Amino acid sequence: MKKIYCNIKKCLGCGSCEIACAVEHSKSKELNKSIAESPLPVKRRKAKFIEEGVSISTGCHHCENAACVTACMSGAMHKDKKTLLTQHDKDKCVGCWMCIMSCPFGALTRLKEEKIVLKCDLCPDREIPACVEACPTKALVLGTLKEFESKAVNILRASP
Amino acid sequence: MQYVIIGSSAAGISAIEAIRTKDKVSKIIVISDEKNPLYSRCLISYLLAGTIDEKKIWYKPGSFFKDNKVEALLGIKADKINIKKKEITLDNKEKIKFDRLLIATGASPKLENIPGIDKKGVFPLRTIEHAIEIQSMLDKVKSVAILGGGLIGLRAAYALKNRGKDVSVFVKSGSILSQIIDKDAAGLMQKRIEEKGIKIFTGVAAKEIQGDKSANRIIFDNGSEIVGNGRDRSLLVIIGKGVSPNIEIAKDAGIKTNRGILANEHLETNVESIFTAGDVSETNDIALEESSMNAIWPAACEQGRIAGLNMAGENELYEGSLAMNSIEFFGLPVISVGITRPKSDKYKEIVKKDPSKNIYKKIVLKNGIIKGVIFVNSIENIGVIGSLIKNKVDVSGVKDIILEDYFDYGKIATLVKKSKKGFREPEFKETIMTL
Repeated sequence: MKKIYCNIKKCLGCGSCEIACAVEHSKSKELNKSIAESPLPVKRRKAKFIEEGVSISTGCHHCENAACVTACMSGAMHKDKKTLLTQHDKDKCVGCWMCIMSCPFGALTRLKEEKIVLKCDLCPDREIPACVEACPTKALVLGTLKEFESKAVNILRASP
Repeated sequence: MQYVIIGSSAAGISAIEAIRTKDKVSKIIVISDEKNPLYSRCLISYLLAGTIDEKKIWYKPGSFFKDNKVEALLGIKADKINIKKKEITLDNKEKIKFDRLLIATGASPKLENIPGIDKKGVFPLRTIEHAIEIQSMLDKVKSVAILGGGLIGLRAAYALKNRGKDVSVFVKSGSILSQIIDKDAAGLMQKRIEEKGIKIFTGVAAKEIQGDKSANRIIFDNGSEIVGNGRDRSLLVIIGKGVSPNIEIAKDAGIKTNRGILANEHLETNVESIFTAGDVSETNDIALEESSMNAIWPAACEQGRIAGLNMAGENELYEGSLAMNSIEFFGLPVISVGITRPKSDKYKEIVKKDPSKNIYKKIVLKNGIIKGVIFVNSIENIGVIGSLIKNKVDVSGVKDIILEDYFDYGKIATLVKKSKKGFREPEFKETIMTL
């Protein structure tokens, strides 16, 4: 399973991933037009500060035993049988916020008016997710856990 | 190998799915006293409110049993378990053998001993049939009395207000949702609910439900009363007094019970090869650190999954359950996890209020470890706090910022990295691998 990983050593917490995510999920898919859309496009990823100078960009981690899927009482949040990714069917969502209650990463966004949640869908229309492409330091990567693990070893060796 | 599962709601369904990930061929028989069990119990009040149509209430497709090669005995009740013969007797006298059994019989609404409770127009709200029956009365009834200010009572109140009814809620205790949240949070919720036209009366208990055949009047212990005001003065009465676990079949069979059926860390009962999950089971409560009941959907699904895996020969450990509830009324959400109303002075509380934004946040601590949390109207990161409760992390170092709106997963990344025993799910490791 390929998903998005964040190299904390490179993440600046600049928020480029957040903007790219929101734009990708807008109607126009263009920054200058999307900021005039109503409702405003919403990001599904967030750059979070860990401590001074250290940040992490997180979204859905597509957990193996996803707590959000277990908690979902409407069947909206589910595992794709083939890809094993955590998917959300917004037509089934009733906005009970049980997934928000359960997600240990705070990876779900609540749309208050529409009464549904939003989450990372790995940009189904793109080969490389918008956040990964937009990351100026290449902290965000798309890959398998194995690929990221071997990268992480090098990253930690290289860091002072 | 023959698996038998009694009950086909959240726990039963999850168990079937789990068994089938490990054992594709053995026979699975499901017994359910409901004719159409594949709906989501939590969506019943949404159906009653008219916010979802009937299509949306089906949690699994109609082909679920067939797809999973399950023989489903529906509308049939399991009467007896013979643990020596490993045999179940059904209410139609038929007998069924099992090698592994899951008791997921759920819970039934508590119907208090109020005179007149058997009158027409008095309903609990637990099954899809209840919702359909209530719906069929809606044209005739204008006023609704809800007895009970818990989750079900208030959801019913919200639903029927949404249907244009004149709704009054009568609560025995001093505040609504008293099993789930504290008085301050309840006050915010009550204010919002009342602003939207639902009447709430606390500290009153029903003494008698009156009426010829149909209910049309309730007399309360403080001398007050409510009278129906429809064409025929009929009154719709919903009982929301909580649920009690359906343990009788297990108890009669000699399986150990307390308030619920006692489950060990594999969700097996004291009788080998007999497992239990869902609202009927009593398990270790992670926050209380003692055996307790948490009759909630997420726990039922998790328990069903783990019991199912263990029935199929796996060795999965169940860490325990945690009380957690999420409710929203008229745009004001509240979520609580764990212990929210501590009963001893061993617990400390930290509270943050922002009345102008209807925000209320509280954590309950014991020896530097979070045991419970309530968030009103600012709920996005409550799952992060939940995982701190679950993993029993000492939060002394971050407790000053824990209720700030910017407190998110980033702020606990260092704690995750330092933790030796907790955060065992692989995804935690993945996030902090480069920290």
